[in-house]
Amino acid sequence: MLVAIIAAVVAALVAAAIIVAVLSVRNRTKTPYANSGKKEVQQLSTVGVGSSGGFTRGKGTSFRPESDVQVKSGHANSKKPADSLKGRFTGVSIFSVAVFGTLAAKLWSMQILSSEDYANKAASNLYTTVSTPAPRGYIYDADGIALVKNRSSQTVLADADVVDDHDVVARLSAVLGIPQAIVRQRIQSTTAGAQSQRVVASDVRLRDVAFIAEHSDAFSGVTVETRTVRDYPFGALCAHALGYTGTPSEDQVSNAPSNRDIQLTDDVGKSGIESAYDNLLAGDHGQRVVTVDAQGNVVDVVSETKATRGSDVYLTIKGSVQYAADEALASLIAPGDGVIGTGKGVGGAVVAMDVRDGSIIALSSYPTFDPTNWVGGLSTEANNVYNSDSAHAPLQNRVTAGLYAAASTFKPFTGLAGLEYGFAEGRSWDCTGKWDGFNTGSPQWCWNHNGHGYLDFRGGIVNSCDVVFYDIAKNFFYASKSQGGNLSDTAIQEMVQRFDFGKKAGIDIGGEVEGLVPTPEWKATRWRNVPANATWTGGDYTNMIIGQGDVQVTPIQVAAAYGGIATGKIMKPHLLKEVRNASGQTVVSYEPEVVTEPDVDQRYLEIVRDALRGVVTENEGIASLFAESGIKAAGKTGTAEHTDKGDDAWFVCYAPYDDPKYVVATVIEQGGGGSAVAAPVGAKVMEAVMAADAGSNDASSMGRIAGSSGRQIEGFSTKSASRSD
Amino acid sequence: MALPQIDSLKTPDASLSRAASPRRGRLPLINLPFVAIIVLLVGYGLLVCWSSIEGSNDTTYSFTRQLIFAAVGAIVMMLMWRVDYQRFANAVMPLFILNIALILSPHIPGIGTDAGMGAQSWLKLGIQVQPGEFAKITIILMDAALVARYGGHLDDLREYLKVVFFILVPFLAIMTQPDLGTGLVYLAIGAMALVAGGARSKYLLITLALGIAAIAAVFAIDQLIYNSTGEYKLLKQYQRNRLLVFLDQDGSNTSSSGYNLQQAKIAIGSGGLFGKGLLNATQSGHGFLPEAQTDFIFCVLAEQFGFVGSMALLALYGALIYVSMRIARNSNDLFGTLIVMCVVGMWLFQILENIGMDCGLMPITGIPLPFVSYGSTGMIMSFMALGLIGSVWRGSNIDKKKEGRL
Repeated sequence: MLVAIIAAVVAALVAAAIIVAVLSVRNRTKTPYANSGKKEVQQLSTVGVGSSGGFTRGKGTSFRPESDVQVKSGHANSKKPADSLKGRFTGVSIFSVAVFGTLAAKLWSMQILSSEDYANKAASNLYTTVSTPAPRGYIYDADGIALVKNRSSQTVLADADVVDDHDVVARLSAVLGIPQAIVRQRIQSTTAGAQSQRVVASDVRLRDVAFIAEHSDAFSGVTVETRTVRDYPFGALCAHALGYTGTPSEDQVSNAPSNRDIQLTDDVGKSGIESAYDNLLAGDHGQRVVTVDAQGNVVDVVSETKATRGSDVYLTIKGSVQYAADEALASLIAPGDGVIGTGKGVGGAVVAMDVRDGSIIALSSYPTFDPTNWVGGLSTEANNVYNSDSAHAPLQNRVTAGLYAAASTFKPFTGLAGLEYGFAEGRSWDCTGKWDGFNTGSPQWCWNHNGHGYLDFRGGIVNSCDVVFYDIAKNFFYASKSQGGNLSDTAIQEMVQRFDFGKKAGIDIGGEVEGLVPTPEWKATRWRNVPANATWTGGDYTNMIIGQGDVQVTPIQVAAAYGGIATGKIMKPHLLKEVRNASGQTVVSYEPEVVTEPDVDQRYLEIVRDALRGVVTENEGIASLFAESGIKAAGKTGTAEHTDKGDDAWFVCYAPYDDPKYVVATVIEQGGGGSAVAAPVGAKVMEAVMAADAGSNDASSMGRIAGSSGRQIEGFSTKSASRSD
Repeated sequence: MALPQIDSLKTPDASLSRAASPRRGRLPLINLPFVAIIVLLVGYGLLVCWSSIEGSNDTTYSFTRQLIFAAVGAIVMMLMWRVDYQRFANAVMPLFILNIALILSPHIPGIGTDAGMGAQSWLKLGIQVQPGEFAKITIILMDAALVARYGGHLDDLREYLKVVFFILVPFLAIMTQPDLGTGLVYLAIGAMALVAGGARSKYLLITLALGIAAIAAVFAIDQLIYNSTGEYKLLKQYQRNRLLVFLDQDGSNTSSSGYNLQQAKIAIGSGGLFGKGLLNATQSGHGFLPEAQTDFIFCVLAEQFGFVGSMALLALYGALIYVSMRIARNSNDLFGTLIVMCVVGMWLFQILENIGMDCGLMPITGIPLPFVSYGSTGMIMSFMALGLIGSVWRGSNIDKKKEGRL
């Protein structure tokens, strides 16, 4: 207000000064004529010009002699030629006052009335708030071994249009030692997101960075940044559970939760734990208020609040077990330099879980990837390797998203159905190696074509005799309502579903799939366009009861369900143990959650548990695997047969059988027989689990795991001749 | 038939003053208020120019250079002060030819250049000079001499049209460069000569109306050309943008002219009452304000010294124009009066246009602010204009002396 008053006074003074000036000009032109009789004529000759066309011509001539007289008279004291033009002088004066008045008024309105508005705009020009990236929290295993850390990396970035500047590309190529074509490709690459600056090279030597910084004129459009990037001390260890980070998508930025500020340059979780607990791992951006010039260059830092690092996440994973699992899969499947086909199978998964609370001790999937490749943006080369057909999907987490036929690992669950409906207990079967219970003329084979001889239900599970289960299936078929009986058409499925098959296990990382427990209803829908195939037949029963046909399960489902057999409860599998904030306090602790307690007669459970124990103790090959460690395990093998490719090998076990603590589920894609291929891996992992349980989990037993090369031996096939579980 | 009559009337008057020019006794060498205002104005202008150069990182501008040219200008002014302006009273035709030669000289291959600015306005003579800027002086003399011949009564239509023709030709000549800003200054000088020289009001009003109609016609024809050929030919895109920006100032125009105007207004407005202080202009100092040393230098002043500083400049200009008009009023011959009035007209237009465009009152045009904008030619030209006024003042004093009134 005071400002406005002062301004008004100043403006008034200026205006007054101009008015006084004008008036004095007028007075000077007037006074000499105050007593002159010619005044009227003067005014007529000037002001009156143009007022009437007919009059002016006469007036003009009447004036001229006057000035002639003046000059000649010689005493024109105050007589000036301009006197005759005083009207014009007045006009010019008024115009001048109008010009200055208008300018002054406009300036008054801008500099006084709207000054604050303009000052704000000037400030928003000048000050820019830059958010400084916050380091992400670390990820530790259950015993505090760091699985994901941070480190600083010198990164060279280039504007997208640098690609057109041949000189700069050539210089970058020379300094960084990268071929020009690659430099150009990286600048053009948009895999890192919608950023205007593209990463040309990460982890550049300080020497080279200094050279680029010193010769910034020769590298226009190129900037060097010290970035905090993810560091993976064990390479690809536990990669599928940990996941990787990258620049956020436009969608992530615009749909960020209200308490989270995601910037395009941030590193955000893209998969696994990094993604699932991104909000906890991400820190709070620092804020730096800087003054900038018109080109956006930072001139000065005005104020700064430091970024705070994100919270640390502790996983239930035990590093040594994880390493044992990763290493076992890698050395089984690709012992020769990571090339698939130098070992057995083309892929595999192992999951170890604490059956008491659902803690995942190890989660391993092969082929795997090295999250380090995503640091600074996934290169096109790496992207091509990971996504090529021959790589066997290294990015897929086979534990949660790998779908397999359950094969004989299904038998304990279908067997429970048989026990419940009285088709199993107290009966015995004679296995001749083949079975034709439906009298089709083309018998179904037991895996042991020689036959198992006389068997009871326990023997059926221990020897995994298919004929026993074919016969149970036949009983279900004929007792079903569709065949005129009084049993539900989905009596077996209902039992299996009590153990949560066909349903996500609910692990706390994304990408889990549901699997499939086929039912007549499902089949009718599936084959609705081919009615001939849409009927649920006896063959569907016999296929399903041995976990073949359309049955699809994931290793995590199998592990959780075996936990259900071992303890009577199915726990929700989880990777998170606890979250600690930057000052080390535990802010979140995972609370175990019971998903379901399968409604099964305890007596039948005991029968199955006893049979599973028998599998481990009575099959010599499997018993020998646990002989040295002395682990009292119970388990089941399985071999999933395919018509078009090699058999998938399964082995699931839990231990100790009389006080179950852990379950380990193993599957080897196209690996061959369950007991020969999968069981050794499962036993080895179980050994590591029990060792860690005894307190031997430390980093010294761990090593670096390599990402999959994505290569496969030419013409490699694992089609196995026969099945042996 | 009116022309010879007037000449015969005026010539004795001119010969009288020329006869009186040999010095007899002491004459007042300087007009104290006039010189005081010049010193203050030039000093203020140099301060602002220095701050605009010092405050930015742009190394293309040198204050020392500006200072040297101010000194050169002052010497030129003093020399012209001594020159008897009456020599030019009958030199309409030579002045006319000189004007056209000056204005067209940048088209001479080899020495003419567009200095990277898009208009063929400069000569490379060791240093770059803008002959069109110097032509303002010769146009002032020509227009004043032209109109003065009618003794304040330009009533005949044919004679009026003749004068308008002489005024328009230099304008058309400079549009070949093209330099609309300087051309408009020529027109302002001519308009002032006609108004102060007593041309019939009816003719003036009709001329004004025709001028507006011509502008409208240019736009209309340009639009027709656009409709048939798909591109504008008469007006350049930047000229269209400047006009569009002027008509729509809410900042939605994203052309460089729109940006310039926004930044200029922010610079002025953010100055507030007392300004941000010397060298604290962030708009120009951080490069947000383009052309801060030349066309938009008023913004640097307004940002640093606020409303008070802006008013101080306006007051100095007002005082200069007041004192100049007093000299014009007291001249013993119409030629002298019109010379001074033409200078006043030139200044008024430049001040209105330059400051006006900075705050959005006028469309953007490249016209320097007298005594403040950076530029050697403009500085010397401004001093030459002062020299002309000084010469007229001196002439009227010599006459007074002769008449024994001093």
